[in-house]
Amino acid sequence: MSANIEVKKAFLSGNEALAQGAFEAGMKVACAYPGTPSTEIMEAVATYPEIDVQWSVNEKVAFEVAMGASVGGVRSLFACKHVGLNVAMDPLMTASYTGVTAGFVIVVCDDPGMHSSQNEQDTRWVGIYSKMPVLEPSNPREAREFVKEAFEISEEFDTPVIVRMVTRVSHTKQNMNLGERVVPEQPPFEKNPAKYVMVPKLAYKKHIIIEERLNKLRSFAETTELNRVEMGDTKLGFITSSMAYSYVKENYPDASILKLGFSYPFCDEKICKFAADVEELVVVEELDPFIETHLKAMGLEITTKDPSFMIGELRPELIKPLVAGEKKVEKISNDRPPRLCPGCPHFFSFNAMKKQDLFVAGDIGCYTLACLPPLQTLHTTICMGAGVTFNEGLRKANPDAKIVGVVGDSTFVHSGITGLINAVYNKAKGVIFILDNSITAMTGGQQNPSTGYTIRDEKTKQLDLKALCLACGVDNVDVIDPTNQKEFEALVETRVNEDSLSVIIAKHPCKLIKNLG
Amino acid sequence: MSENKIYNIVFGGIGGQGVLKASEICGMAAMLAGYDVTKSEIHGMSQRGGSVESYVRFGDEIYSPLIPEGCAEYLVCFHEEEYSRLKPFLAADGKDYVSYIDVAKKAIENPKTLNTFLVGVLSASLPIEVEFWMKSLEEIFPEKIQELNKKVFLEGREVGAK
Repeated sequence: MSANIEVKKAFLSGNEALAQGAFEAGMKVACAYPGTPSTEIMEAVATYPEIDVQWSVNEKVAFEVAMGASVGGVRSLFACKHVGLNVAMDPLMTASYTGVTAGFVIVVCDDPGMHSSQNEQDTRWVGIYSKMPVLEPSNPREAREFVKEAFEISEEFDTPVIVRMVTRVSHTKQNMNLGERVVPEQPPFEKNPAKYVMVPKLAYKKHIIIEERLNKLRSFAETTELNRVEMGDTKLGFITSSMAYSYVKENYPDASILKLGFSYPFCDEKICKFAADVEELVVVEELDPFIETHLKAMGLEITTKDPSFMIGELRPELIKPLVAGEKKVEKISNDRPPRLCPGCPHFFSFNAMKKQDLFVAGDIGCYTLACLPPLQTLHTTICMGAGVTFNEGLRKANPDAKIVGVVGDSTFVHSGITGLINAVYNKAKGVIFILDNSITAMTGGQQNPSTGYTIRDEKTKQLDLKALCLACGVDNVDVIDPTNQKEFEALVETRVNEDSLSVIIAKHPCKLIKNLG
Repeated sequence: MSENKIYNIVFGGIGGQGVLKASEICGMAAMLAGYDVTKSEIHGMSQRGGSVESYVRFGDEIYSPLIPEGCAEYLVCFHEEEYSRLKPFLAADGKDYVSYIDVAKKAIENPKTLNTFLVGVLSASLPIEVEFWMKSLEEIFPEKIQELNKKVFLEGREVGAK
């Protein structure tokens, strides 16, 4: 590089670096629903005025809007956390069949160790299940580089590409050099039903094509520099990926490593050659035995972790015990637990429920913390929207119990609304609390349709939750401030003792909202 | 800088104390000084008044962003109640800044600048020139509170140099 060109440097998190890489790749449209550890990707994308960015109402919607942009001819990106991908699986599975017009990248942030999640699912399996390629950056610098590569692969092989991050890549910051934005030319907008109308006859033809595509991707896996061999001491040879690579390097700086950056489909020839070149082949991977299962199917003899290491995240100090075949020693955490902020409106809502000794079907949000002392007034948490539907299901099994459901303003729009329509349609009873703090709070304060502002804090039409619930056909809809304790508690007592379906919108803004009014 | 020397710093406290901002100032300054840097942290639930910790590592080449127990040469604790949890990170010959929480509380007028003061104290022991710290503070804080933070930082740095 010539000395007079100044390289732009930055100190970016994996999520910010990913946004920067997508910006450099000429991405034009990006959509997501907030979810830790993925939220900052879209927040960072929103800082580039060239990009059309949105908080969508849920992940399925986000996926479809972003994919639509790709089908329409511009590079686009969908981002979510691992459990968010479950919501988008319907369009995802068939997106693999249709392929893309311009590059389409699916970014998924897994959360090994469940720092902020309800389960520890490993997204790499989705590569096998959907027959789509999976890239795994090991650090923020690679997040920037890999997402650019992902757009190229997407277009070259006519497939969406999954970029699988983990919390420690998303939330680590690192120094890096930045590049310029280059926007590819947009192809003419054409109707192509054979490619994009997935009726059985056409989809059958596409299935033939995606099996061929997988073979082409297998060949690509052999040659791409994303799968890198670092030959060193041949006594130990590691096959690893993602953040685990960094921990291996830290513990075994002189060992040989096959680093899988393109982790699905596998580079079988490269793996076999590497296996032949080292004395002992060791697999180090976080969560599920994804690489291990494949290598065993290939008939390779490997050293791998005790199954106890499938649980929780890896850390640098766990690598040597793992390689030695030891069981994982569970460390008792003495971390201070998170709790509702002082003055949080949710406290008053749950305090009133506690007084009525209710069974409370919960949902995902700050209010999930009501399961902990001192409130201990939340009794199930599965996924977003399930507070509404669990109220219905629990009542079928226990017709005489006092059961209610809770949901947040953002999660009600995400997937609570469908459950409410179902409850009305199927004549369910009970009380659904929409804990409306006028923000998506748990993920750090994101806008949603009920706040009336966009991701860039621009004013938009505000969803009227009360009118929406009434339109669904609910018997009673009350909007009330839970911090008016006496009035609120009296209303709760009345509603939980009625034989009707009621919605109580407990409305009071989150204490942490920055730009109130 | 000595060859392949890696500096390992653990910052810890509770949500809302500016722990992540403190490690950001440090990581940014190290980058500006030309080091390879990683800074690790966790967002999300931990912000709700729970434990917060952040690791900064800098040197010639850094891989793991995490610091194992017993490997931090510097431990900057922001909250006395978190100390017993964080202490195991400190290396046997590591430098412990817990006693500076009291010093900081007496020295600063605005409790929100506790983090900047403690980074100032720490800075006196790190091989990063003062100009890079100043530049880092300019990058991180909005203009209207830059001067205040520079002042508090330098007060902390003076205390740390004693």
